[in-house]
Amino acid sequence: MGERLKGLEVSEEEQLRAQWYSLLARLLSAPPDQALLTMIRGLKGDDSDLGQCIRTLAAAARATTVATAGEEHFNLFIGVGGSELMPYGSYYLTGFLNEKPLARLRDDMAALGIQRADDVKEPEDHIASLCEMMAGLITGAFGAPVDLTRQQHFFANHVACWAPKFFADLQASKTAAFYMPVGAIGSVFMSIESQAFEMAA
Amino acid sequence: MSKKTAAKMGRRDFFRKAGLGVGAAGAAAVGLSVSSAQAATPNKSADKGAGYRETDHVKKFYELAKF
Repeated sequence: MGERLKGLEVSEEEQLRAQWYSLLARLLSAPPDQALLTMIRGLKGDDSDLGQCIRTLAAAARATTVATAGEEHFNLFIGVGGSELMPYGSYYLTGFLNEKPLARLRDDMAALGIQRADDVKEPEDHIASLCEMMAGLITGAFGAPVDLTRQQHFFANHVACWAPKFFADLQASKTAAFYMPVGAIGSVFMSIESQAFEMAA
Repeated sequence: MSKKTAAKMGRRDFFRKAGLGVGAAGAAAVGLSVSSAQAATPNKSADKGAGYRETDHVKKFYELAKF
C-alpha cells in the first residue's frame, strides 16, 4: 500500500485512520505472534480515550504470552463446538452466518473492485476483513482512494450497523483478557469514525 | 475558506484531539500486510493472491476456522 503517488493523495489523518483499521484487523484476524506481542508491549498512549486503551492493551500484552493469547483467541473466536463470539455481520444482524448482509456486502465489494483473497475460506463479513477493507478504501489499496461519501456509505451499511455491538461484547466477555482492550479500542474507534463522518457530511 | 476546507480542518482537529495520531497504531501497523481482501482483477487466474501474504498463524487460523 506504499506507492508514493497514492500516499500523496491521502492526507495524514486519513492514513492514521487506515492504520487503526489495520491494527484492529491484525488483532482480530489471528492471535499475536511473538513479534507483535513484543511490539504491543512497548506501545505508549496519551490521555485520550484511544491512548488509554493503548496503554491497557500494552499492559495486557505484558501480562500474557503467545500461548495464552492464542488460547484466548481460540476460545473467543474459533472454539470447535462453539466459540464465545461470532464476529460476522450476518450473525449479528440476523442470528445466522452467510445471510443477506453478506450478499449485500459482496455486491458493494464488487462495485468497489474488492474481492476476497485467494485461499481465504472465511466469509467476507468477518470483522477483521471489514477493517482491512476500510483501510484499503482509505488508502486506495483496491484502486484509487475512495472518497469520504463512499467510505461513509460502506461504513454505515457494513460496519457501523453491528461492529459497535460486537466490540462491546468483546469488552464485556469474561473470557477476554488481552482481547478486552482490543474491544475497547474497537468501541472507541467506531465512535470516532461515526462522529467524524457526521462532520464531513 | 471554502466549506469543504472548513470541514476537512474540522476532521483533522477532531482526529488529533481524539488521539488518532498517538503513533501507536502506526507502530503496530508497520508490516501489517496480511490481507483477506485484494483488488479484484479482471483475469483471476493471473497473479494469484496479489496483495495477500499468508503467515503461519493466518494459515492456522483458517485451518481451525473450517467454515
